[in-house]
Amino acid sequence: MAASLRAVRRLGLVAAAPPSLAFTRSAFVAKKADNAQPNWLGVGLAFGTSAALWALLVKQHNEDVKEYERRKQAREHKCRECS
Amino acid sequence: MVFLPDESRSLPPPPLLNKGSVWLGFAGWMSALIDNAFNQRPIFGAGVHRQILLATLGCFVGYHLVKRAEYMHAKVDRELFEYMRHHPVDFQGSG
Repeated sequence: MAASLRAVRRLGLVAAAPPSLAFTRSAFVAKKADNAQPNWLGVGLAFGTSAALWALLVKQHNEDVKEYERRKQAREHKCRECS
Repeated sequence: MVFLPDESRSLPPPPLLNKGSVWLGFAGWMSALIDNAFNQRPIFGAGVHRQILLATLGCFVGYHLVKRAEYMHAKVDRELFEYMRHHPVDFQGSG
């Protein structure tokens, strides 16, 4: 019994057993995050969202520049008396 | 209250990488690095997708905030110059 417990402690699995009450929510039974296995869905969503955001930003900026130039042309053509 | 009224488009748009977007992008990147540090992951090498996403989000929000700030400043300047035009007597001393 003691030997197997010591073996379990060496493997680092001492606190892994969840409590028997299934309906309690407790911070003490949170699973250890496994950073060795990539969360590919999360990675894909993050990169996809980043690409979409950059595309949106660059598109918005180019539209802003075009609209500003267009309004400048319109203003120069329109009125000469209010300068 | 509209975030960017239509007349803000008459202003020259700020460059894509301006003080707001660069600073907030840097802040987003820093928060990803700090998140790595708090979760005891390698600070620069872990979660590159997270770093890129938060930096992008910062740049996006920063760009639109700078656009709104420039619009608000231009609006106040316009009102100031209109007031100065209507009250030239009060502003003779500076001329």
